[in-house]
Amino acid sequence: MDTKETEPAARHHHILPTFTTVLVGLSLLVLTGVTILLGGVELGRLNFAVAVLIASVKALLVALFFMNLLYDRRENSVIFGASFLFLAIFFVLTATDLFFRGDVAVKGPISAPVPAGGKRVAKPWLATEALVGRGRELFSQQCVTCHGPEGKGNGPAAASLTPRPRDFTATVGWKNGRKPSQILKTLNEGIPGSAMAAYTTLPPDDRWALAHFVVSLGPAAEKDSPEDLLKVGVDVAKGEAVIREAPSIPIELAMRRLTRPELKARTKARTPSPTQTPEGARVYQARCERCHGPEGEGAIVGALGGVPRMLLRTGPLSISKAIENESAFSEVVVRGLTGELMPGAADLSERELRGLYRHVQELSGRP
Amino acid sequence: MMSADVSDRAVTAAASHEHESPFAGPDEAFEAAKQGMWIFLVTEVLMFGGLFVAYGIFRGLHADMFQEAHRYLAVSLGGTNTVVLILSSLTMALGVGATQRGQRDRALLFFGLTLLLASCFLLVKYFEYSHKFHEGLLPGGYFRNEHLKHPKAPLFFSLYFVMTGLHLVHVLVGMGLIAWLLKRTVARQFGPHYYTPVELVGFYWHFVDMVWIYLFPLLYLVG
Ligand code: HEC
Ligand code: HEC
Repeated sequence: MDTKETEPAARHHHILPTFTTVLVGLSLLVLTGVTILLGGVELGRLNFAVAVLIASVKALLVALFFMNLLYDRRENSVIFGASFLFLAIFFVLTATDLFFRGDVAVKGPISAPVPAGGKRVAKPWLATEALVGRGRELFSQQCVTCHGPEGKGNGPAAASLTPRPRDFTATVGWKNGRKPSQILKTLNEGIPGSAMAAYTTLPPDDRWALAHFVVSLGPAAEKDSPEDLLKVGVDVAKGEAVIREAPSIPIELAMRRLTRPELKARTKARTPSPTQTPEGARVYQARCERCHGPEGEGAIVGALGGVPRMLLRTGPLSISKAIENESAFSEVVVRGLTGELMPGAADLSERELRGLYRHVQELSGRP
Repeated sequence: MMSADVSDRAVTAAASHEHESPFAGPDEAFEAAKQGMWIFLVTEVLMFGGLFVAYGIFRGLHADMFQEAHRYLAVSLGGTNTVVLILSSLTMALGVGATQRGQRDRALLFFGLTLLLASCFLLVKYFEYSHKFHEGLLPGGYFRNEHLKHPKAPLFFSLYFVMTGLHLVHVLVGMGLIAWLLKRTVARQFGPHYYTPVELVGFYWHFVDMVWIYLFPLLYLVG
């Protein structure tokens, strides 16, 4: 055997004295006690910082002494330390993105950019007869239940709402404001904490149409400046329609929808029975199928960006409470679901609604 | 040091065949193995790190939910396990020291104690998990608890189970490694001349302890 055998590796390697080892162990126990005690004290946001700080001191003690890093080659500290550095970068970048993004929203192609069958309007931010006319039409379908036929905020559903729907003939009390671009913002984002939902299911041109119509209901409003328009994604200087296409839904809603346990339930595909009300089926196909699927089994309403792509879908209609009785059903269908991407269908006649109800009952396998 | 029973046969297989070894000597082999272990631990930090980042993000988004949900974890059990793991880290460190000094009997005692403490950890974890199962405090879509009403609460338990579950897997692996150390120590394969596996398993075990040092306050205390 050569000389290396007689020189124990230990000579080059620090052996932690037993006393130090026990001391470090005891400090760790004491620090654990401190963490638990402080956990019971209410320090607000500090609790978290203190807990992480103490944990880090403990981790450092373990690394430096138990894992001998203090006496080890410097490069090993660098290697191990680097992993925490990269972890910190990972966390900080993710957090700054998520917490300071301004509008925390998931973008996705939820609406068709062009009105069904219609042409894109060249400069929808400029009010025209045609746009106001289209707005009137949409308003009577989508908004009158709350805002009333003249936009006075006195629709049939208004009485039950807090805050009350806006009176469009008044000039005060507006949260976003009553310039067309400001109304567009309301329609893009809704008013959080109120029944006013985002109407991103409508194509952007239709939202502009509604905005112009709402303005026309009250006294003359200020015109949009180029800066105002820029805020809603229209660059007048470029002279073309640069409209933000991606409507957004709040991340809250996306999470709820993606994690809803009922989504696992699946209704079996059913062959249509001959007793189906033809009218209900027709309305269903025209108005509901694209979001609820041909059999009411639920369908993809939109996609969320990102990899892997997440899809947003509705649940089966058969498990909804709203189909248990006709009045609840009509209420949901006419008013839509605030903030849930379900548009109201206030333009349906009583007969159509009844037919629709029967059709949905059929689809859900109810008598 | 009073080296009670220095095992003279403790000669490394790798380092004794020097013509086959890429290393200049046992010291260099030891240093290389150790550095390899550090690099492995870096990957471990990053694996757990991903989960800790997820925890941080969701805690930021749903602070109220974490506040509410963390009360459903038993601080007494989590605290017991923290103490148990720290003691096991201590016995591990003492076992490594004993091996380095050639005190085989002490090393055996400390490795045995470490294994015992690890089993305690498992036992407590078993009670904790079965309690959670019983109460329906389960991850994601399996959540069935009726008292915890917060709609996001299942998310907390997803994080809880994934994080403590991955940690538990590490505890199990660590226990296997310590058992292996025990067996080789009994066979007198380690001593002041050669203790690379002992030191490295020690690293692994201390790392497992380190992860728990963070998990405990974050999940049980501040939620
Ligand atoms: C479910 C009831 C409901 C429906 C349907 C509804 N709104 Fe509203 N809307 C409200 C309520 C409530 C408010 C008041 C919100 C507040 O004050 O926080 C409001 C406020 C507004 C405002 C004022 C925002 C501001 O800055 O003050 C505009 C503009 C508006 N709605 C437009 C519309 C349009 C256009 C439609 C149809 C596409 C519509 N709303 C449909 C309930 C509704
Ligand atoms: C733009 C997509 C879309 C269209 C079009 C649509 N819905 Fe919905 N609907 C939804 C979404 C989103 C929900 C939310 C519930 C869910 O996730 O299942 C929903 C929910 C419902 C519910 C259940 C309400 C509840 O509280 O459980 C009923 C009933 C319903 N829709 C009926 C209809 C009918 C009838 C039509 C046709 C007039 C229709 N929907 C058109 C998207 C749509």
